[in-house]
Amino acid sequence: MTAFIIRRLLWTIPVMLLVILLTFLLMRQIAGNPFRRTARAVPVEIQQNLERKFHLDQPWYVQYALYVKGVFTLDLGPSLTLRDRSVNDIIKEHFPKSLELGLLAFIWAIAVGIPMGVIAALRQNTFWDYSLMFVSNVGYAVPSFLIATLLIYYVSLKANLLPTNGWDGGWQYKVLPAFALGLAPMAYFARLVRGSMLETLQQDYIRTAKAKGLRWRRVVAVHALRNSMIPAVTAMAPTLGYIITGTFVIEIIFSIPGIGRYFVTAVSSRDYSVVMGITVLTSFVIVLANLVVDILYGILDPRTRDART
Amino acid sequence: MLSRKRWLPAVLLALFAGLVVVGCGGSDNGGGGGNASDNQVLKWGLGSEFQLDPGLATDTTSAKLVLNIFDPLVKLDDKLNAAPSMAESWDVNGAKVVYHLKSDSKWTDGTPVTAKDYEYSWKRALSPELASDYAYQLFGIKGATEYNSCKSNCAALKDKVGVKATNDTTLEVTLTSPQPWFVQQSAHSVFLPVPQKAVEKFGAKWTRPENIVTNGPFKVEAAQPSASITLVKDPDWRDADSVKLERVEGKIIVDGTTAVQSFEAGEVDVLDEQLPPAETPRLKDTPEYQLYPGLGTTYYGFNVKDNIKDVNQRRAMSLAVDRQSIIDNITQANEKPADAFTPVGMPGREDIVTTASPWTPAHGDLAKAKEYMAKATNAKKNITIYSNESPPNKEVAEALQSMWKQIGITSSIKILEWQQFLEFLGPPPPKSVDIYRLGWVGDFVDDINFLELWTCDSGNNNTGFCDKGYDANVAKAKNTPDNTARYKVYDQLEQTLTGQDGVLPIIPLWYITYPNLERESVKDTFNINLLDQVDLTKVEIKG
Repeated sequence: MTAFIIRRLLWTIPVMLLVILLTFLLMRQIAGNPFRRTARAVPVEIQQNLERKFHLDQPWYVQYALYVKGVFTLDLGPSLTLRDRSVNDIIKEHFPKSLELGLLAFIWAIAVGIPMGVIAALRQNTFWDYSLMFVSNVGYAVPSFLIATLLIYYVSLKANLLPTNGWDGGWQYKVLPAFALGLAPMAYFARLVRGSMLETLQQDYIRTAKAKGLRWRRVVAVHALRNSMIPAVTAMAPTLGYIITGTFVIEIIFSIPGIGRYFVTAVSSRDYSVVMGITVLTSFVIVLANLVVDILYGILDPRTRDART
Repeated sequence: MLSRKRWLPAVLLALFAGLVVVGCGGSDNGGGGGNASDNQVLKWGLGSEFQLDPGLATDTTSAKLVLNIFDPLVKLDDKLNAAPSMAESWDVNGAKVVYHLKSDSKWTDGTPVTAKDYEYSWKRALSPELASDYAYQLFGIKGATEYNSCKSNCAALKDKVGVKATNDTTLEVTLTSPQPWFVQQSAHSVFLPVPQKAVEKFGAKWTRPENIVTNGPFKVEAAQPSASITLVKDPDWRDADSVKLERVEGKIIVDGTTAVQSFEAGEVDVLDEQLPPAETPRLKDTPEYQLYPGLGTTYYGFNVKDNIKDVNQRRAMSLAVDRQSIIDNITQANEKPADAFTPVGMPGREDIVTTASPWTPAHGDLAKAKEYMAKATNAKKNITIYSNESPPNKEVAEALQSMWKQIGITSSIKILEWQQFLEFLGPPPPKSVDIYRLGWVGDFVDDINFLELWTCDSGNNNTGFCDKGYDANVAKAKNTPDNTARYKVYDQLEQTLTGQDGVLPIIPLWYITYPNLERESVKDTFNINLLDQVDLTKVEIKG
């Protein structure tokens, strides 16, 4: 197992290099000038100073090499638009907020989604099944910006129960964004677990377990649940990676100073170094999340263990 | 067996119930804050991330903040005249400007504010190492451009920059030529002083709340650049007695809809950026809605070089536009229909736009438009309109499309993302562009800031219009320090653009406005000037 983890961690290096290269090249393919923010053209002298300062006057491979060197010395460079901050500062300030929001949303999505799926499967084609799957369908289909806007309107504005936006200042600020962000993953997990649970319940070993007189609760909890978790666990890695690295829509609507909001504004303002920095961070988190999932596989399904050591 | 399974739904129900309780059982947070007049706290909704280094501040949020935590030499009053601030008075003698500073001002670290601070700060803003975006505001100073673009020998060039503190209270500035607008221009945020000691000690981190040293009416108590900022009145400021506000709690709300909801929930008292156009119809009749005229013109520019070459077609297209109807039905922020490129509010405008342009009637003139379209030989009747995507630009383009259809011009609309749009437009204009949307917002107070746009070499002239006579007049205006005489030259320039025999490289559409939401307790004293600046020393919360 240790060897497996080390090997996987080493693999992240070429993966990251490729991600950096692709983002680097793609970002420079789209037209635009990071130093021009309004209709006003940037005077030549000013443009030259800025390009010199940020090494944009160098050939692309030099810029790429400088950047890679920066990444491996944990210095992601300065922001091109927020000039008094470095990308490290930006990540340090904003990533924890996205992480917290993502984890809260993820936890509730799992805590509700998985039991929902299990119940729906156990009560297949009953009122419970239909109503839970209805909730799940709605949760999955309705876009989060709509949910968020409706929540702000009814819960904050009409009922005056929670603040309309913001993040720092107490749990009241976190309820609505976490709920809105977790709704779709919750619905997704519920459907996934229901499907795999139904399939697992058809398996011979479940019938055997029942036949040898095990209590039903034990059959479900030990035999069926564990095996039907595998697809959900597979889906968790990208979901987790995605939601903790910042979600633009929720962060914008609730004015949360997270990393997702930054990412999108950085792309539209052509803040190359911020885009690169956040991409590096995101891909690192996703690579890591995938690793965790692979380890979980081993725990859930012993058969996959040997193949991976 | 059924009974055994009953626990599961129960667990689920409990979980949901828990969530609902967590979701709705919230505290009594939110709701309007106290509005007693002895509670001088302004809760201010800000539109974007800010940076507090005056040399680096580029957006309006940052500019509004730094102008209130540092002390400008001069401020601009309602009519954009220069009013004393840190400078008690000033003398202008040709290309020489001398500011006489007040002597009773201190930085928050206790050291006195002197003319040397301004000299240091202006040279810092010009330094190629800082690479300030707004350094060009200082290019009117002798030697400034040379220093800013130096590749070698920078130290010597720095010493040659025409700004010198001759003693603690006298700042002497030598300009490249007489520039009657320079004193007003020095109200711009890039001219603010920065604390040399803190800047040198902390480098780029000097603006952090724990490091920052300021000399303005307010000081920074706390700041999270992308979430919030708290300013408090500096009781030791030179004119602290005149400052009513005790605290300013700025909160960044990026999304316009959320910002409006936040205002309606009583979380902010003033919302002065980014009111979404979609909300305007609902809000514009509420007592909190406030409109400020801005010094800016929205226009459509022709590609006169390659495509729309016939002036009669340009006249026809301008005549066909019902500006008032676009303002009433689409933009809805009570903008003034534009009858010239020079916006209303520009000092000397009555002398600059002496005769109204016959080509820009507020309601359009379809009959006349058709007449001129018929006169156009070589008209291009199938055109492409280029615009960027932010609302309501697309709707405006569609309205123009239908107006031009009435004079026999069919058009297709291409919408581009902002950065790509700017790069695409040139100059020189690409051949595929027939007409494009842009706006121009003045960043200092003289019409040269607008009219210079249409010179042959201007980086902002995307029309391909190039007239040596026009360029000569721009040069002449720059060398005419006397206002009356200079405005006469501007009048000629404006006539060349939009007058009776004008070339009409552009169709001016309207002069911009800044819509705000302001609680009635502050709306009398919270005001935005034409350059989108706010003076917080004037703000007072009324009970």
